[in-house]
Amino acid sequence: MRFWHKTYILTLILFLLCLNTGIMTLAVYTYQKNVETIEASATAEQHYITRSFENDYQSMLNAGGMANPSLLMQSYGNHYESKGISLCFEKDEKTVFSNIKFEYSLSKNSLMQKKIDDVRYIFISTEICNGEYDLVYVKNVSELDSEFKTLMTVYVLTALTVSVFLALCLFFVLKRLSVPLDKLRLTTEKIEKGDFSVRAEEKGKDEFSLLARSFNAMLIKIDEQMRSLEIDAEKKQMLVENMAHELRTPLTSIYGYGEYLEKAASTEEERIIAAKYIVAETARLKKISDILLDTAYVRENRFEYTEVSLGDLVSDTVYRLSRKAEENGVTLVENVTESSVSGDKTLLSMLLYNLTENAIKACKKGGKVKISCAHYQLVVEDDGKGMTPEQLTHITEPFYRTDKSRSRSEGGAGLGLALCKQIAEAHNAVISFESVPEKGTKITVDFTS
Amino acid sequence: MANILIAEDEMSISNLIKMNLALVGHTCAQAFDGNSALNMANSFHFDLIILDVMLPGISGFDLIPHLNNVPVIFVTAKCGLEDRIRGLRLGADDYITKPFETLELVTRVDVVLRRTKAVSHSFEFDDIKIDFDCKKVFKQGTEVNLRPKEFDLLCALVKNRNLALSREKLLEIVWDYDYEGDTRTVDVHIQKLRKKLDIEERLKTVYKTGYRLEV
Repeated sequence: MRFWHKTYILTLILFLLCLNTGIMTLAVYTYQKNVETIEASATAEQHYITRSFENDYQSMLNAGGMANPSLLMQSYGNHYESKGISLCFEKDEKTVFSNIKFEYSLSKNSLMQKKIDDVRYIFISTEICNGEYDLVYVKNVSELDSEFKTLMTVYVLTALTVSVFLALCLFFVLKRLSVPLDKLRLTTEKIEKGDFSVRAEEKGKDEFSLLARSFNAMLIKIDEQMRSLEIDAEKKQMLVENMAHELRTPLTSIYGYGEYLEKAASTEEERIIAAKYIVAETARLKKISDILLDTAYVRENRFEYTEVSLGDLVSDTVYRLSRKAEENGVTLVENVTESSVSGDKTLLSMLLYNLTENAIKACKKGGKVKISCAHYQLVVEDDGKGMTPEQLTHITEPFYRTDKSRSRSEGGAGLGLALCKQIAEAHNAVISFESVPEKGTKITVDFTS
Repeated sequence: MANILIAEDEMSISNLIKMNLALVGHTCAQAFDGNSALNMANSFHFDLIILDVMLPGISGFDLIPHLNNVPVIFVTAKCGLEDRIRGLRLGADDYITKPFETLELVTRVDVVLRRTKAVSHSFEFDDIKIDFDCKKVFKQGTEVNLRPKEFDLLCALVKNRNLALSREKLLEIVWDYDYEGDTRTVDVHIQKLRKKLDIEERLKTVYKTGYRLEV
């Protein structure tokens, strides 16, 4: 059962209960009042009859001694019968006159109501003429019952009309009020089916729209989270694919030349060539595995902090790469302002070496690479081929190469910058890249943060 | 035999393919990037191009429409089904993923060449001539009577000449089943071939490997 159904039924029951109790109470109260009024008027009438009879009886006694009082009683009886009143005069428990046409029992000096043959009567019994007689006054009050019936009919009809009207109104009002909730439910159903782009309607300022608002906020959060997870998964997938690709090339060579040695009818010279390839490709595999291990090493933070001079780092790197630069026809320029940072010397030198080596590779013959350090900063600048902004966003991903067709003629596994980034992160340093295609690249490692 | 262009940027792999194809008698030219591959394909006649997908300059996928319908076999480290389908849909005749076996490469090259009719119908060495179409073998001009399986075995050895074939591989190629146990059948047939054709010197037993026809 829906919430608004429950609300509807409960409200309706409660309301009908109150309404009908109210109407019934009112009806009963009105009836009671009527009865009281009728009893009072009956009492007054009876009193009047008593008074006038006593007067007549007294004047009869005064006028001519004892006449037959039953004649007087009969004339009273006849007179009042037309008004729906029956009288009975008793003396010493014996009826002197009566025009009451039914059996009854009644104690002296009392008032009662009784239904006889479905007609309601009021009985009043009193002593008159100083206790000489007893008068029983009986009045037909059947109009009381018929009035009550009419009253009840009116009340019941009113109650019914009001109830039906209320039931209908309440039904539509509650249904209308539950519409936003229903919409929210439909939205969640869509989400359940995997559509995270839907949003709940945020109309109005009631609780439902507040709920819708926080619901939407939650959705946006979830959507973001999922997207970032997807991107992460994609990156991981890419890493695995790239790694597989990177491993496959040397593996193919090693496997192929091994098979060649095993199966081919070859000359001594050919066998030596094959063996050399196997050795060279194994070295390449080793390099990849070394870098992967280095990456893992950095990730696990197993390194020692010492005070490292950035100037020494720069000179050391320039020295180690001078031959390579010469081979490529690239000039290395160092510009040192002494500064030192706290870090792992091996890793930092690995970082600078990698950055400088990349810069050399990016340069054409006659290019220039400038390595400088000053105040917690390392800067490597080249005037090589540069990178597009799109490429810049990917360069720190493992195995990424700026050349889509992955020219390996320059060597390396495409892992260098990924490693650099990790080393920098381990030192709480930030690597930033600025690059213009065909103009050059500037890489800054900032240790100040 | 056939004239083949190898377009592969990785020197070691390019040479590997070249050395293996040379063993079975093909002549090979090498290109190390997309542009030179395109130039060479347009300047010379090739029976087949072995094309790496990830070539610097122009990728293999982009190159294929400009190759004037020369048969192409892709060699690539990308083993995804999507890439395979894309390659084949572009008109490649076959698709080999790295790392590959030499025999696989040689066989696929042979199959593609045969389909494009660029393969010779006969093969001669010493005083022996093998006619593949009539399934006949001549020694000094006279026909040698070979049983069908012996002929098939000879064909397998010729097609993969200068490469050692294991007994299991021969069993698979010639007898058409993967069967570990009955490698002696191969030995018996090899003996018969040696005797009938007198090729003791050419058809060698390779230590711990199998047999090799050295031509």
